[in-house]
Amino acid sequence: MESGKNFIVGIFDDESVLLSAVKKIRGSDVKIHECYTPYPVHGLDDELGYKRSRISIAAFMFGITGTCLAFLMMIYMMGIDWPMIIGGKDHIAIPSFIPVVFEVTVLLSALGMVATFFVISNLKPYAKPVTFDIRSTDDKHVMAIDLAKNKKSTNELSSLLKDSGAVEINEKKF
Amino acid sequence: MSNQKTYWKGTEQLTNDPSFVKNAEKEFPEYLPINEGKESNGSTSRRDFLKLMGFGVAAASLAACEAPVRKAIPYLNKPVDVDPGIPNYYASTYSVGGDYASIVVKTREGRPIKIEGNKNSAITQGGVNAQVEASVLSLYDQERLVGPLKEGKNTDWNTIDKEVTEQLQAISAEGGQIRIVSNTIISPSTLKAINKMAEKYGNTEHVMYDAVSQNGMLAANESMFGVKAVPSYDFSKANTIVSFGADFLGTWISPIENTKQYSKTRKVSSEDKTMSRHYQFEAYLSLTGSNADYRTTVKPSQEGLAVAALYNEVAKMTGNAPINTNKVEIANITNAARDLASNRGKSLVVAGSNDTDIQLLVNGINSMLNNYGTTIDLNQHSNARKGDDASFINFVKEANAGNIKAVIFYNANPVYDTGMGEEIKSALEKISLSVSTSDRNDETAHLVKYVAPDHHFLESWNDAEPKKGHLSLAQPTISPLFKTRQAQDSFLTWSGDKQEYYNFLRKNWEDEHFSGQEPTFDIFWDKTLYNGVFTYNVESSDIAVQNVDLSAVANRINKNYKPNNTGLEVTFYQKVSIGTGHHANNPWLQELPDPISKATWDNYATISQKMANDLGIKIFEGKTSMINLTINGKTMEVPALVQPGQAIDTIGLALGYGRNMAGKVANGVGFDVYPFLTQLNGTRSYALTSGVSVDGTAGSYQLAQTQTHQTFMGRETIIQEALLEDYKKKGWERDFQPHIETSKGKVKPSKLTLWNGHKYNNHHWGLAIDLNSCTGCAACTIACQSENNIPVVGKAEVVMRRDMQWMRVDRYYSSQQGAETSKELEVAAENPEVTFQPMMCQHCNNAPCETVCPVAATTHSSEGLNQMTYNRCVGTRYCANNCPYKVRRFNWFKYHDNSNFDKNLSMNNTLGKMVLNPDVTVRSRGVMEKCSMCVQRIQAGKLKAKKEKRELEDRDVNTACASACPSDAIIFGDLNNPNSSISKYLKLEASDSEPIKEVNNERAYHVLEELRVAPNVWYMTKIRNKDKVNTKA
Amino acid sequence: MEVTSPVREVLVTGNKTYHDVSHDICRHVEAKPNPKWMAAMALSLGALFTGGYALAITLWDGIGMWGLNKTIGWAWDITNFVWWVGIGHAGTLISAVLLLFRQKWRTSINRAAEAMTIFAVICALLFPLIHTGRPWLSFYWFVPIPNTWGSLWVNFHSPLLWDFFAISTYFTVSLVFWFIGLIPDFATIRDRATNKISKAIYGALSFGWDGAAKTWQRYETVSLVLAGLATPLVLSVHTIVSMDFATSVIPGWHTTIFPPYFVAGAIFSGFAMVLTLMLVTRKVYNLEDYITINHIELMNIIIMITGSIVGVAYITELFMAWYSGVQYEQYAFLNRATGPYWWAYWAMMTCNVISPQLFWFKKIRTSLWATFILSIVVNIGMWFERFVIIVTSLHRDYLPSSWAMFSPTIYDMGIYLFSFGLFFTLFFSFAKFFPVINMAEIKSVLKSSSGEIENKK
Repeated sequence: MESGKNFIVGIFDDESVLLSAVKKIRGSDVKIHECYTPYPVHGLDDELGYKRSRISIAAFMFGITGTCLAFLMMIYMMGIDWPMIIGGKDHIAIPSFIPVVFEVTVLLSALGMVATFFVISNLKPYAKPVTFDIRSTDDKHVMAIDLAKNKKSTNELSSLLKDSGAVEINEKKF
Repeated sequence: MSNQKTYWKGTEQLTNDPSFVKNAEKEFPEYLPINEGKESNGSTSRRDFLKLMGFGVAAASLAACEAPVRKAIPYLNKPVDVDPGIPNYYASTYSVGGDYASIVVKTREGRPIKIEGNKNSAITQGGVNAQVEASVLSLYDQERLVGPLKEGKNTDWNTIDKEVTEQLQAISAEGGQIRIVSNTIISPSTLKAINKMAEKYGNTEHVMYDAVSQNGMLAANESMFGVKAVPSYDFSKANTIVSFGADFLGTWISPIENTKQYSKTRKVSSEDKTMSRHYQFEAYLSLTGSNADYRTTVKPSQEGLAVAALYNEVAKMTGNAPINTNKVEIANITNAARDLASNRGKSLVVAGSNDTDIQLLVNGINSMLNNYGTTIDLNQHSNARKGDDASFINFVKEANAGNIKAVIFYNANPVYDTGMGEEIKSALEKISLSVSTSDRNDETAHLVKYVAPDHHFLESWNDAEPKKGHLSLAQPTISPLFKTRQAQDSFLTWSGDKQEYYNFLRKNWEDEHFSGQEPTFDIFWDKTLYNGVFTYNVESSDIAVQNVDLSAVANRINKNYKPNNTGLEVTFYQKVSIGTGHHANNPWLQELPDPISKATWDNYATISQKMANDLGIKIFEGKTSMINLTINGKTMEVPALVQPGQAIDTIGLALGYGRNMAGKVANGVGFDVYPFLTQLNGTRSYALTSGVSVDGTAGSYQLAQTQTHQTFMGRETIIQEALLEDYKKKGWERDFQPHIETSKGKVKPSKLTLWNGHKYNNHHWGLAIDLNSCTGCAACTIACQSENNIPVVGKAEVVMRRDMQWMRVDRYYSSQQGAETSKELEVAAENPEVTFQPMMCQHCNNAPCETVCPVAATTHSSEGLNQMTYNRCVGTRYCANNCPYKVRRFNWFKYHDNSNFDKNLSMNNTLGKMVLNPDVTVRSRGVMEKCSMCVQRIQAGKLKAKKEKRELEDRDVNTACASACPSDAIIFGDLNNPNSSISKYLKLEASDSEPIKEVNNERAYHVLEELRVAPNVWYMTKIRNKDKVNTKA
Repeated sequence: MEVTSPVREVLVTGNKTYHDVSHDICRHVEAKPNPKWMAAMALSLGALFTGGYALAITLWDGIGMWGLNKTIGWAWDITNFVWWVGIGHAGTLISAVLLLFRQKWRTSINRAAEAMTIFAVICALLFPLIHTGRPWLSFYWFVPIPNTWGSLWVNFHSPLLWDFFAISTYFTVSLVFWFIGLIPDFATIRDRATNKISKAIYGALSFGWDGAAKTWQRYETVSLVLAGLATPLVLSVHTIVSMDFATSVIPGWHTTIFPPYFVAGAIFSGFAMVLTLMLVTRKVYNLEDYITINHIELMNIIIMITGSIVGVAYITELFMAWYSGVQYEQYAFLNRATGPYWWAYWAMMTCNVISPQLFWFKKIRTSLWATFILSIVVNIGMWFERFVIIVTSLHRDYLPSSWAMFSPTIYDMGIYLFSFGLFFTLFFSFAKFFPVINMAEIKSVLKSSSGEIENKK
């Protein structure tokens, strides 16, 4: 994340408080930079107005690719490149191809999707995490507001956070 | 001699005498022009002629293939007929003791690698047996002597010759007795050479004996017909065959010849539905007995009376006088007599007993049936057994008395195989000059003063006259591997004759047999050499029958035999593999499963189920108990094998085991029973009727059997049988034909499929196997082993059920009558019917093994073969599991160059490796292998036909098993070729080009047809010539 | 005080706060290894090396060292393979299927279960590799790669090749699934870490996770889809393994009922193994509050059900053999029950069909000791099931001439021991260095399940 930015960070210790806080703060048209929680808080994405993730579509696409690849591979190898008489079966015997097709489909769609997930969420070994508060992976919910992106003053924002139930309010510079 | 090796081609090179030097340059080639002139008479083409002439040259170049050579040496001057990669075939002769086979030796780059039958021979007719096939391996046996020995230490031939000659002269000077002891010798020229010696020194007798003697028969024929010889039999002319304990298909006199003839009478087809009926009366279940239509168990103590009973029955029916012997209750005697009487002149009675009286009665029966001149011929009598027990026993006596000064054992091992070892040992101390020509330092050789080792027969010149009027030649197919010398050369040298035996032989033939058949003797000689055999006419004079005092015979029979003897009895028998023990150091034979017991690497006491129950012996997976067997005071522990068909209260013991000086393969395998042999009427007897007792068991023992389950569980898709009388009926059909229920009703399995199949456009190879003529002799197994470089794995691995033979002969006993449940079906009948089923890869068109191989290492060829790609195989063994016939063999270990498998001679030393077939890969550890239908032979045949620009014919290709089979039970050929013998045999539609053929031979069936793996191997229903009443329910 | 939710008993007991959760679970990772753990690890390493010797000899001399023969080409090797694969089913199944069914109780066991899956599959993979005659080739000749010998492809008709694809896919996907689940927990450990090394290691492993709402959203979708993919995968794996036998021609193997019957068996043995391990971990790490009797009882019920399914399958086999009218089929099954290997068959019947029925009694179902013993009995039974299917079918198939017996050598046993050593070494390392329970998920169910937080207000 680009440096030289000021954030005001509200810390909550309960998900329900956080949810209402998000509602309240966004209601008073304040842009929330992002919330950080130790576990998936259900409904938070809606409150923050995130759209449904389209990652499952990626998974499907990868899956289809797998199916086609598997079929093409086997038809080429068994039927075109070097056909052999095996157990009196036809060279291209679809029934015996099914299991491999299935497995390859699943494999590609799983790996493809996860890869996509890592890329778009910038997850990779030694990737530097954005830590507004170290406890956000333990037991605290953290809400970060980018001062630059808001007209409201620091005090206004912190009071707003306090009203909406933050147990702690810090400023953080990057 | 210098310790640096020199390879030489005969004594004369050693002695470097002028005649040799002259020969060396003019050997054969001088005839070339003559032959070219003679090209017009196409009897021998120049090609053929070159082939056989080239031998001499080949022999010269063969040194390049000497065993210890480690690098391949290129032929700088290529010998005229040795083309690398192309085999040469030389006609030759196998003769060991009296056993004979006319053979063709396949050599590659000068190495004999395979023995096949010689079809030109009127006697063996291209058949071989296990021992003949395996004998090529003994050539490369490391335990052969590499040179002469003096008192056990290496010496050279000059010393031997000098000292032996001197001593012989000394002995003959003071009129000392000299003896030459050998087994039966069927080579006239050899006998001449021996006589030469006898003449030179005087007081010399040639004593012949046979480990398994036919003295009784010789004596009988002498007293009855004045001919002291074994007659030649013709089983093929016999409609009724009765045998009293003669294992004529396995080991009796001339088994190959007998099998050839016998199998002709067992072949049936819709055109000719007649076959012989065979009665066997015996104590232990022999190979012959297991092929009989009616087999009756007879105790040795009853044998004489049984023969007498038959004599009387036949006498009654033919209006001759009966003899007065004790009555004995034996089944089937009357029926046998009835069938014999109704087939006079077309029947044959034989007996294995060495008792003169029995043989006299048998002669009597045969002459009452007018079989002499039809099925029995004394004019062209056989020379196979000439051993005279009396004279041998006399020799031992004299020797012990110190009356004999010199003895020469010519390839005989009497210390081991006469049971008189102890006497001979002591005698040898009294004999001043003792010589043996044994090829190894065996039981006898290590006791004598000089060992003058003989060549292996594949290294020697020789001739043979197995039957009066039938001669054959033996020629060397490789230059001597060691500093051995042909025994005949020794005899000549010792009798002061300088000439080489080869010339002696030629001279002898020129005198005896050359009567201007060809322009010159040389052409005659070369032709005979090429054909391997030569016959001359024997004028058939009527044999005068001296009358024999049969009442005396009857009395002796009454004296020697009892109707119901109490107490145990023993019969001594030979196995088809080990025989008398001469081949004991041959691992192929040691690991060849006995056709009946399926046991390898052992002999044992075969006992009846009843005795087993009494002793509380259970045999499971070859795990059995030792029994304390006492014979005439000597007690020993021997493993017991429960043998269905064994006569109650009898025990069978195999000869030929328990050797201790034969070599690392044979030593300590089994136990020696020769010492228990006794005499009866002055001849050696191969049975004991008294002095035998068994007291209890002594610990357990593991036998190495390749098949541990006895019956076929009534599974008719595996074994199909029928009675002759049913088969004779019009429109006969196999009583088991699987059908599968479908929505459209029952259909044949071959009609159901998911797939379209693949057409075989050129060839489509297949096998047809006739269960009716297969005798189970296992010649095919060894032929396959030798052709396909199949390893020997040793007893321990066989116990683990890891035998490697690609071609096995399954042996099934029938279950007890009316057996229903699977538990009952597992038990074999007391005296079972036996079925042999050669089982190898079935080359299924829809092979289950191919489907499951993950790496496509086993696939189907475009000629219908199921083929293994060793290089690709990773060894999952999935194919073997999924093979319904369990014919696939896995290389559990590295069997070559592995000290743990040093009994696998053909793969563990440079010498042994010379026997390997270069056309077949030696498989590595961890790969699967199996029958390839001799694909290397198929390819060679195709190439041959292609070079000659013609369609491939039957004669171009044959599998090793099919060509070895002495009963022609295996037919190989191209199913796509309507003219091939297999297509005709199976009655295929000429138009049938489908991969899965429809056969119209009503006896043909697939094993496990309902699986629809569609094999390319068909089996012919076994037909039994029995009356309905006797069939099992 | 504790409030019990009306629908079900609480999943986490003992008034845990979010921080307690992180603490309880991370402390094992952070603390020095405790003696109990040391002992266990030593034991596993012992097994690993003892068995390693047998493995080494086998690789050096060839699989002739085993008891196999020309008739019985597979015995302990493939028995162990199928057995381990079977065990390897529970993990992914628990996580995937129970996730789809929103079974919250899974949360405290799925992490360990998934780990077990992965280790079991590793052990399973060992056998197909070393059972081949030439392992130095088979490990890559199964892969359809072009090669220097020109066109030389694998045989896609072969169930063994399907197996190869199935198992490797299953392994990969399970691994990914497991790792995805671990990332947030690694982050927790990273942020708690005090010393540099663990900071570095867990920093790397956590992939820079920060728990942003957006990432959580994607994370949940990914887990859901992965679960969706994994479920049919789990079912496919043992289906395909069963095809090794079902598509063959051998009586006793050629059976259409195999796929469902193998899958049921796999779940059966898998759950049993999970129980065995969880009961141990629970004791060693005092995680009684997270793995409650309630969990154990639910698992036992599943074992009881799948056990009964397996039982039904056995009976069906017998019926089909009789009904088919094929003498080979009939003999094969008669031989199983009454032949030389009758003891194996009845051991299987007792352990797999009769013993799980004890779980009808709540007393036994909820008793730790009974559960522990029975979970082991079940796995013994499942091993025998595979032995019976493989060996007794092969040893007497079509031609009586080839009928034979199999008896294992010490090398067969040694290699089995090796696989145990491998498994437990891996598992205990996991238990020490990885969070054995999915903290994030526990936290997410903490509130909904035990009204804890509400009441704090």
